[in-house]
Amino acid sequence: MSFLRAFKYRRKDTAVHRLDPRSKFLLSTILMAVSIVFTDIRVLLALVFGQIILLSLAESLREWLSSLRGLLFFFAVIFATQLLFGGTLYTGFILSLRLLALSSSMSWFFLSSTPEDIGRAMSVAGLPIELTFSFTMAIRFIPVIYDEFQSIYDTQRSRGLELEKGGFRNRIRNLMPVLIPLLVGTIRRTYEIADAMEVRAFGASPKRTTFKPLRLKSGDYLVCAASAILVALAAYLKLLGIE
Amino acid sequence: MVKIVVESLYFRYPEASDYALRNISFRIVEGESVAILGENGAGKTTLAKNLNGLLKPTEGSVKIDGVDTRNLSVAKIARKIGFVNHNPEHQFFAEKVEDEVRFGLRNFGFSEEAADKTIREVLNVFGLEEYRGKNPFQLSGGEKKRLAIASIMAWRPEALIVDEPTIGMDYAQKLNIRRVLRSIVSEGRCVIVITHDVDFAASICERAIILSRGEVIGDGRLRDLLSDDTLVEKASLRKPFLIELEKETGLTGLEEDFDAISSTLVEVFQKCRS
Repeated sequence: MSFLRAFKYRRKDTAVHRLDPRSKFLLSTILMAVSIVFTDIRVLLALVFGQIILLSLAESLREWLSSLRGLLFFFAVIFATQLLFGGTLYTGFILSLRLLALSSSMSWFFLSSTPEDIGRAMSVAGLPIELTFSFTMAIRFIPVIYDEFQSIYDTQRSRGLELEKGGFRNRIRNLMPVLIPLLVGTIRRTYEIADAMEVRAFGASPKRTTFKPLRLKSGDYLVCAASAILVALAAYLKLLGIE
Repeated sequence: MVKIVVESLYFRYPEASDYALRNISFRIVEGESVAILGENGAGKTTLAKNLNGLLKPTEGSVKIDGVDTRNLSVAKIARKIGFVNHNPEHQFFAEKVEDEVRFGLRNFGFSEEAADKTIREVLNVFGLEEYRGKNPFQLSGGEKKRLAIASIMAWRPEALIVDEPTIGMDYAQKLNIRRVLRSIVSEGRCVIVITHDVDFAASICERAIILSRGEVIGDGRLRDLLSDDTLVEKASLRKPFLIELEKETGLTGLEEDFDAISSTLVEVFQKCRS
């Protein structure tokens, strides 16, 4: 689960954190798209390198690096499937690099944007409040559920449960004492939150006001321009025949 | 019987820049009843998790019967030192109360016959026999807590750590939990209670370890420590009701006749008047 650290918002006062979530989302989406459409090692390396700069500007390089350990498992799966199904070590490396570029493009966005900011950006884009609010809540509760998972896991270990013991099937079965209390707790919390929202008149008025309206600033226009240049550059590279 | 020795313990969580526990040393021997007290965030639960091996020291050591916890699995330590989480629902997953108790016994290799016998005994001792076939999630708060303790005590650990046993408890439930913990102490087992509830702690524990910002600021007889105004203020605690009453009225020996949980002010004053 350590790779999730790369997607958890960290409060910092940097130029990247101060950007409007819409401009960040635009750049992040384009970086993701470019990571998907190219397999050329130079392009993928340039994408990863560019995002390392973004992560440094967001002072989040440490969080990103600490999450890489969690990604190692996925890299191993990619290499294993490539070797099993006729691929080569090189294709395994390229796909792993693509995964790294993809996860980094989401990582710097989530590390520097609060769930509320993301929700606001979705609202401005015209999505219904029920959907944006659910999305915001889901993101906000990931660390809470993770903490609860840890607490339940510790409690069951204190009762002699050893998750690492036995074969694959046994390990899955051993997870039940952890997953059932987690599921029950999460469902209960859902009802409690729904009640808490209702008593505060959530959804009573169709017209909602915004406490902190979003405004694009000069930095955001710069990011939008960079995104457009990136799209143009990607199209040009494709025209040159670079895959 | 178990002996816990903590020597120059420092603990820091992986992503934290500062230590959660600093330079902690003490020993707990068989039959002791110890309250770990302190303000929110003082490090009480972190300390407890270091005692039962869920967390391993960053520096220094915690030894259980002479063996460093770094060299023991949590399961091995749990056989000797039981740990009851502050939220009993964090451990319930079985459909029936009896299966909840059976879980730990199976993990520790009890035969089905031995487990059946133990479940009968333990549910009886903890007053849960009538709920044997009930879903644990349908029990009341106090019953859940008792079941959580019962499911740990089933395999007879030599020491028991209970995290916040009185959270969300009404008066009657508190009395029940206290009865259970006192009976464990009377068997000569070690009980470590982590709590903010000084009256509850005073009614069970002889000794207190007071933490503040990750450091031990007091270790000794609970009554003596909680009579110390400076210490009590520093740890954001308050004095137990009877100690405060003795101080205000000049009376002595109230603690021998009463306890702060079950006695009422009227009872105490009637006794004083007579």
